[in-house]
Amino acid sequence: MRIERLILKNYRQFRQAQLKFAGRAGTDLHFLVGTNASGKTNLLNAINWCLYGDEPHLSKDSQQLPLLNLITLDRAEPGQIHEVSVEVWTETDEGALLTFVRRAPFSKDDERQVTQQGTTFTVHYTDTEGNTQICKDDAALPWVERFVPARIREFFFFDGERLDSYFKQATAQNIRHAVFDISQLELLESRVQKRLESTLDDLTKEAGRANPKIEKARAGQEQARAQLDDTNQRIEECERQIEIARASLAELAEKLKGVPDTIALDEERTQLDERLQDTKRLLKAKVDERETLLIESGSLLMLWPAISGAQRLIDEKRKLQELPPPVDKALLDDVLRTATCSVCGRPLDDESGRRVHALLQEVELASQSMHRLQEMEIPLYGFKEEVELFRGRVEVIAGEIDQHEKTLEAFAARKTQIDRELAGYNEALISRWYIERTTFEQTRDQNQQRLGALLSMRTEAEKDFSEAQEQLAKELKKEERVRELRRKVSFCKRAVEVVRATREAIVTETRQRIEAETKRYFFKLVWKRATYSDVRISDDYGIRLIHSMGYECLGSLAASERELLALAFTLALHRASGFDSPILIDTPVARISGEQRGKFAQVLCEVSTSKQIVLLFTPAEYSEDVSRHLSGRASSRFELRPLAGELETKVEVL
Amino acid sequence: MTARVPDRLYIDRADRELYDDQTLKSEVFAQRENRDQFLFAMCLGFKHRVRRHLNSREGFFLAKNLRPKDEALIDSVALHESKSADVLADREQVFLIAEEYAHAGIRLLHGEATSGQPGSFIKRLELELFELLEDLHTD
Repeated sequence: MRIERLILKNYRQFRQAQLKFAGRAGTDLHFLVGTNASGKTNLLNAINWCLYGDEPHLSKDSQQLPLLNLITLDRAEPGQIHEVSVEVWTETDEGALLTFVRRAPFSKDDERQVTQQGTTFTVHYTDTEGNTQICKDDAALPWVERFVPARIREFFFFDGERLDSYFKQATAQNIRHAVFDISQLELLESRVQKRLESTLDDLTKEAGRANPKIEKARAGQEQARAQLDDTNQRIEECERQIEIARASLAELAEKLKGVPDTIALDEERTQLDERLQDTKRLLKAKVDERETLLIESGSLLMLWPAISGAQRLIDEKRKLQELPPPVDKALLDDVLRTATCSVCGRPLDDESGRRVHALLQEVELASQSMHRLQEMEIPLYGFKEEVELFRGRVEVIAGEIDQHEKTLEAFAARKTQIDRELAGYNEALISRWYIERTTFEQTRDQNQQRLGALLSMRTEAEKDFSEAQEQLAKELKKEERVRELRRKVSFCKRAVEVVRATREAIVTETRQRIEAETKRYFFKLVWKRATYSDVRISDDYGIRLIHSMGYECLGSLAASERELLALAFTLALHRASGFDSPILIDTPVARISGEQRGKFAQVLCEVSTSKQIVLLFTPAEYSEDVSRHLSGRASSRFELRPLAGELETKVEVL
Repeated sequence: MTARVPDRLYIDRADRELYDDQTLKSEVFAQRENRDQFLFAMCLGFKHRVRRHLNSREGFFLAKNLRPKDEALIDSVALHESKSADVLADREQVFLIAEEYAHAGIRLLHGEATSGQPGSFIKRLELELFELLEDLHTD
């Protein structure tokens, strides 16, 4: 099937646009070129809206805007109805026409508020005889499924930049679902297997009505199955989380290669600041200590002649035993008081009295001086010790000051070094990466632990289920009345097993086919062929890219190579699916450069010989490498031209 | 002999602004009491053997704030000046000698502290003190 025509009316920036994709013998390749915001992605959205009622590639800006073209909206009178419509005209291989039409009426009120008045979806099928069948709304959905099933539309209509992220998130799960969807096993599973399982349940319920023990066993089996299903779901989710974490860690490892550990360096810098402050405080204390020592001991040194003179005087007085004085002052006081000599007992005359008084004064004077000298003695000897220790203490403090200054220099140098290491880096962004890495590591580790427990639980649940099945079978066997039912149950079980085995076989075969095709396309697309030796999709649906030296290297692929691998996989899915529906790729080579673009174009040309391919390029993407391969082979070429104000885009045929 | 013991030590009124000078405060007298500032000025005056008579006296700190080692220093200066232990009985004379040396010393100190780069006075003081120490050992 191929898209023959696309007609848009009032759909976003396309007021009136029609694209005819005329086929040509040997090629069904079409491309559009449009600048950013010209409407390329909205063409993709238009097709999705028409077929599925949604717009999965809508930009943030467009999400704020109504579906209705803004010029039409502006010109609309309040109460007037204007319709948005998108028609996708397709042609089957047999020549029949299948037209998908979605319409949505809009009205505007007095306050310029626009309201959508529902939506209608119609499919017109006209066979080669000209007979037309029309289906509407839900009845039309099966036709969509025949064209491009909703579940796998992302492999047919997609954004090229999305390809890069395809392998980032839960690769194995993505691939398993893709293989399953492409294998079209939904019919087998939903119609056949589920029907059989439902019939089996009904039969066993019927048997249970005949015998309560059978009912109990049946209920037990049901419970065990529910438990097993629940455990399997949890395991799947756990594995998905582990894959997401692993992929994110690989991506972060790439980003952080060669990048300094900003968190650790920032922490070190903060600690250095604290230690700098502490050391400055210690330095200041030592400087103050030195000053105090210089001032205090300096005083002693400056006064040393006086101090040593005083010491000598004290020593002399001590030698002469003038310290303390030998005169009994109290005796002299008493003599004067009593005016009587206490030695001979004679009264004192004036002369004697004056001489005793003078002697007492002399004693008092001498005593006061000697008393002072005596009091000076201990401090003076302390000064001597202080002076002797002065040089040593100054040198010790000088050494400590020197050490602190060196420490400050070292800290300052290390801070400068850290600043230099971090210069040019966006510290906040890098710190976020490190935090994300830690978070993903924790997620991975926690989920791995959980997975271990869940796998044990599953083993137990499988055992319980198996036992419950055996118990039910035993009870059924015992009951004669349900022999016929038992036969039917046995048949259903066998049929379910056959369906399951068939499904697995189909999935395996599809997986192997997809693996082979992915490898084929990848080695056609990739620039460094000799670097890689193999592409594998293992039993667990993990995709492995093997380096020519034998190790796995998916995690270290450049973004462009990852995109090529994802494209190879997508093309492989197309070949394996049996759907010959067209591929539409928006910005197909955004991350691919140089010679790889040429190879990309070559591969698409090859694919376009048997499948319609529509490519939406920006002018930068449509480089010489690309146009050299494509322009000669293209069946149609269009340019999207935004008009003034960017409220409308015209489609022009090149 | 005099029995009067002065209750405080004096500076020349004109010296107040020198003691309050910011450079002196930051270079030499950071967080030091009046007593310590006075004694250091006295030491410097003694080192240079310069005494100056006070023209107008202003109380600077109380005598009771003198510690025993401070008294010992002042007494040593008085002893050295008078060459007789008798001076020690005359506290007025002892204090006067100290005050006159401090009066001369504070001017010398202000001149030295404000003449060089900030922080250089302490460095020069250290060198001078080491020289004094050398002389001491030589003697």
